Amino acid sequence: MILEAKDLNYFYQDGENRRYILKDTSASFEKGKFYTILGQSGSGKTSFLALLSALDSPHSGTVLFNEQDIKQIGYEKYRRNNVGIIFQSYNLIPTLTAVENVLVPMSITENELPEDKKTVAYNLLDYIGIVKSKADRFVNKLSGGEQQRVAIARALATNVELILADEPTGNLDEEMEQEIIDIFKKLAHEHQKCVIVVTHSNEIALQSDQTFSLKKGVLTADE
Amino acid sequence: MNFIKRGLLGITRKKGKSLILLAVIFILGNLISGAISIQQATNNVESTIKERLGTAAMLEVDYEEIEAMSEEEWMELEISNIDIDLIKQIGGLSYVKYYDYSMSTAIGSESLESYQGEETEEEHIIWDGPSMEFTLKGINYAPVVDFEEQKGKLVDGRVFTTDEVENGSAVAIISNKLAEKNNLNVGDTLTLNNAVYDYSESGEEELIASRDVILEIIGLFEPQSAKEDKGESSDGGMMDFMDIDYQNTVYVPNEVVSSEERYYWEEYVKFDNDYADMLVEDDDLEYYTPIFFLNNQEDTEAFKEEVMPLLPELYLVVNASDQYEDIAGPIESMSKISGYVLLVAVIATVLIIGLVVLLFLRDRKRELGIYLSLGERRSRVVGQILIEVMIIGMIGISLSLFTGNFLAQGVSETMLEAEHDQFQEDMMVYNEFEIDLTTDDVLESYEIQLNSNYIVMFYVVGLLTILVSTVIPLTYIVRLNPKKIMM
Repeated sequence: MILEAKDLNYFYQDGENRRYILKDTSASFEKGKFYTILGQSGSGKTSFLALLSALDSPHSGTVLFNEQDIKQIGYEKYRRNNVGIIFQSYNLIPTLTAVENVLVPMSITENELPEDKKTVAYNLLDYIGIVKSKADRFVNKLSGGEQQRVAIARALATNVELILADEPTGNLDEEMEQEIIDIFKKLAHEHQKCVIVVTHSNEIALQSDQTFSLKKGVLTADE
Repeated sequence: MNFIKRGLLGITRKKGKSLILLAVIFILGNLISGAISIQQATNNVESTIKERLGTAAMLEVDYEEIEAMSEEEWMELEISNIDIDLIKQIGGLSYVKYYDYSMSTAIGSESLESYQGEETEEEHIIWDGPSMEFTLKGINYAPVVDFEEQKGKLVDGRVFTTDEVENGSAVAIISNKLAEKNNLNVGDTLTLNNAVYDYSESGEEELIASRDVILEIIGLFEPQSAKEDKGESSDGGMMDFMDIDYQNTVYVPNEVVSSEERYYWEEYVKFDNDYADMLVEDDDLEYYTPIFFLNNQEDTEAFKEEVMPLLPELYLVVNASDQYEDIAGPIESMSKISGYVLLVAVIATVLIIGLVVLLFLRDRKRELGIYLSLGERRSRVVGQILIEVMIIGMIGISLSLFTGNFLAQGVSETMLEAEHDQFQEDMMVYNEFEIDLTTDDVLESYEIQLNSNYIVMFYVVGLLTILVSTVIPLTYIVRLNPKKIMM
């Protein structure tokens, strides 16, 4: 088990009332599997992903990475060395080229990486489907699908085992959506990564190894 | 792609914003640079002029305080003399390089012709009344402080010996011009005449008694006034008068002056018994003017602080450099204005650059959130922004270093002209320190320079100002929540 959420509680304080987004939520995730967390808008799936990626902290409960509390690892350090995050709106730096965007996390992480980082970055982009001529373009000159591929390459750049994606195909057409899902499946099954994708799409959920449904703050594992 | 490289790319890839920031820093940098240039120039003037004014300090009666007294206080006023023991005690302080105390008197001569200046040499001046054309100046410091301080220079013979000073030997040092006029040389004797007159009745003077003062010439001096080298002075008449006065000064040991004073008053009181009652003690005849020369200009305040408690009531310490304020009016006002400009410029820079950086940061909120979501340390994100701003700041400051200096020259010239018009009557120092400096001298020594002091000062002030103005908006980054930005 690479990642485990234990009794997570997350709420918004509304006057004297607490509005629970997640209530006693628990789940565990293994390497080599492609997971989806399915839920409607406002169901709390993005908050759940934020807690798993240490972009936010729960009011109670713990997130364990390789059986170690990520709070103890340190949220910043955990994000730096242990997790790759992909966002719906890509969140690339527009003043940098595609390859430069991939190089950014490589300079931030403390993980051991090959000396020639630029070559690694080009190879990663190529593997994801971005050829060198496109890798040297500024990211705002790329299509949405290409930008999301760059974002995936960036998430993989630090050689992490855990990939978390928040609605990664939300801004893409169906054809592109499938290509991206195929990449995730390949990463899980061929490269033994643990890929967790938050989505509201049943089609994507059907392609995953396991789906969790999130309704009114309660997470249930689908059979 | 570490934070340093990201910072550098941030400058080159966002040219528009970099140029806006550069322009703002350049404009504000000119203000700071100009103000610092003027400040440095005025400070240089102050140190140069104070150096020329010298380190002399004297003990004077505080006439301002006396003037402020009520009539009753004034009636009871009693000013005691500074006695020799106190002078010696003050002279023994560590700040004092050497000191002297002097007693002077005017004296005439029947055999000696006084020096009357170059221009009036041929004119025949008829004096109506007793001749007192010479100043008998007593000294206690054997090497003569006037020579040590370059007021005069020994050109022939020698200075006094300690024995001669202590014993009050009848030896003298006179000016070269006075010696030439009377065909006197070192080793010759000169005869002065201490004549006692009564002026009391009908305004006609009456000779009561007189005696000759025969002195051996041991040395000749020449005045070393700074103005002598400069040719025409701005106030030739007064300078000539001072020069003639000095040429007719005869340096002798204090005891010689004291003895002649005693003779004078002894003879006078024989004639006027009312005076005898007033001069009860011998001490009343011994009034010395002390002068102290300090080791350093910087010691003046410390010297003042230490000496003031030792002085009798109503006395104060006056330094030669205190005269600076009297002649440096235009410079002082420029110094004040440039000080205000510097303060306003620094505050404006902090506010304006702070605001510009904050606006740019808000614009880059997503980018900063990305770095944080990737696990970048906040300190490095702050470092990246600092690098960007400081590099642009460095370029802006370097450009304004020259233009601000150039600007300061133009502004200074205009301001000095305007200020000088208000000081049309040149202030000049004529006092017991006998220093000949005018407002023109002060203005002449004003010079905007591009020296290392100015460069270091400007870079320190400029970069610190930019640093402060960047650090304030950077707290914005520290408070950023990556989840709120990214999701």
